[in-house]
Amino acid sequence: MTGFIDLYTEADTFLHRMDPRVKIVAVLLVSILGLVLSSLYSLLVLLAVIFVLLFLARATFSRTVFALKFVIRFMVLIILLWPIFDPSGTPVLASLGPVKITEPAIWRGVTSAARVGCLATVWYILMFTTSQRDLVRALVKLGLRFDFGLALAISLRFLPTLSATIDSIKDAQRARGLELDKGGLLRRARNYVAVLVPTIVSALRAADLLSLALQSRAYGAKADRTYLCDLKMRRVDGVALAVVVALLIIPVFAKFVLQVHI
Amino acid sequence: MIPAPSPSTASDKIVSVRDLKFTYEGGIQALKGINLDIRRGEYLAVVGGNGSGKTTLAKNINGLLRPTSGTIMVNGRSASDLTVAQLARIVGYAFQNPDHQLFCSSVVDEVRFGPQNMGFTQEDISRKVERAIEAMDLKGQRDQPPLSLTLGERRRVSIASVIAMTPEVFILDEPTTGLDAWETDDLMASIDRLNQEGRTVILITHDMNLVAKHAKRVLVMSEGRIVLDSDPGGAFSDLELLLQSKLVPPPVVQLAHRLSGLGVSRETLSPGELVSRLMLGGGEAK
Repeated sequence: MTGFIDLYTEADTFLHRMDPRVKIVAVLLVSILGLVLSSLYSLLVLLAVIFVLLFLARATFSRTVFALKFVIRFMVLIILLWPIFDPSGTPVLASLGPVKITEPAIWRGVTSAARVGCLATVWYILMFTTSQRDLVRALVKLGLRFDFGLALAISLRFLPTLSATIDSIKDAQRARGLELDKGGLLRRARNYVAVLVPTIVSALRAADLLSLALQSRAYGAKADRTYLCDLKMRRVDGVALAVVVALLIIPVFAKFVLQVHI
Repeated sequence: MIPAPSPSTASDKIVSVRDLKFTYEGGIQALKGINLDIRRGEYLAVVGGNGSGKTTLAKNINGLLRPTSGTIMVNGRSASDLTVAQLARIVGYAFQNPDHQLFCSSVVDEVRFGPQNMGFTQEDISRKVERAIEAMDLKGQRDQPPLSLTLGERRRVSIASVIAMTPEVFILDEPTTGLDAWETDDLMASIDRLNQEGRTVILITHDMNLVAKHAKRVLVMSEGRIVLDSDPGGAFSDLELLLQSKLVPPPVVQLAHRLSGLGVSRETLSPGELVSRLMLGGGEAK
């Protein structure tokens, strides 16, 4: 469960050390690049680059596979469904009633799948190499209100705790003979009341305690607060940002000004 | 449904554990080979530091966790053949935190929940519920919402909801944490009564005073193993082992150890015993 919520793996790579703000902006720019590119080959090159970066981020194989499982399922679905719903183009390879499978449609499906692959996996680079704390810190530095940032950080921090509480509550009710997966839909929904009520009550209690703890440590005493670890752009970060911007500008220029199919 | 054990076939052993090993998903081996027989009607305390495997053992016995290897027999049947709900009719488990199970709008509804899941008849359920409410002294709170009660009362409700399922074995996980001395005494008196009525009680605790006062058999657990299995007097006579298992015996036991030069037995468990042993000339008093 924790693996699902927090993909961050600790390591010391240039991607881990990079300013999280730069990473957020870079990932956004690469996502735009994924939308701009329209030829299959350039999308595959981009996908390859993203995988090299994932490799450099020392994302372990098992975690990468875990994270990609969802993306790959989605990609397979696109490749299978696209030709069925897109009858345009020739040559027609097969037809069954109104359904026509054409060769260009198959390629369009593969291209879209590659694009979705790029758009999804590039965000994994950010998630694998940036701790939740850094992520929130970067968002606050980029202009998010500190209260919202703190609320976000706390929610992320408490997700694993909440999931442990839910497991414990489920166990407690199963020990009282509750069979959660038994019966029809309605019965099952009713069964979950026995889990839901204690979960909500303990979440509210935890929130109450936490707000007291925050106040007792002078939260909100001053509107402006200082930071122990301030984010600083280093020269490497500037260079990285410049490289990504160039990577975006060149294809955009080629595509929209030079009218090259890229 | 489980057929009620007929007196002739019911074995004396209610729980029997052989070579039980359990490893959590993350790879932590919590139980490293447990062998244990519990007879009907025993009053057993399982003690040990945090992370010694007490709760893991208990959860294996009631089926919430399934052994990585080894076997568990409950009431003559293999626990692996029974669902958690079926096991719950034999082994009742009161969790440490009562708030993890309370969800009804009145105490009486809360206590009804378990026996209703077990599929007893309506009259049967009502009888069991009334008995459980009485056993846990909750008559005055019967129509109140459980979440508005004090911690001591909430814990009573959670234990009553287990009693109402009329299991043969009660596992109570740290039932006195957070209670004051009076609440603890009251609660333990009710638990003692359960045992006197012939129910098997397994008390999981850190509190060595409870062990000295109530249990008749003590299992000391350390790092996933049972390192000692004896009566409370015997358990307290090995100070070294207790300290290694992150346990500190009650002050009176420590004092008896210091006074052992005067002939006071190292198995002294209460202040009264200590006084009478001193007055009667120590060691001879047995």
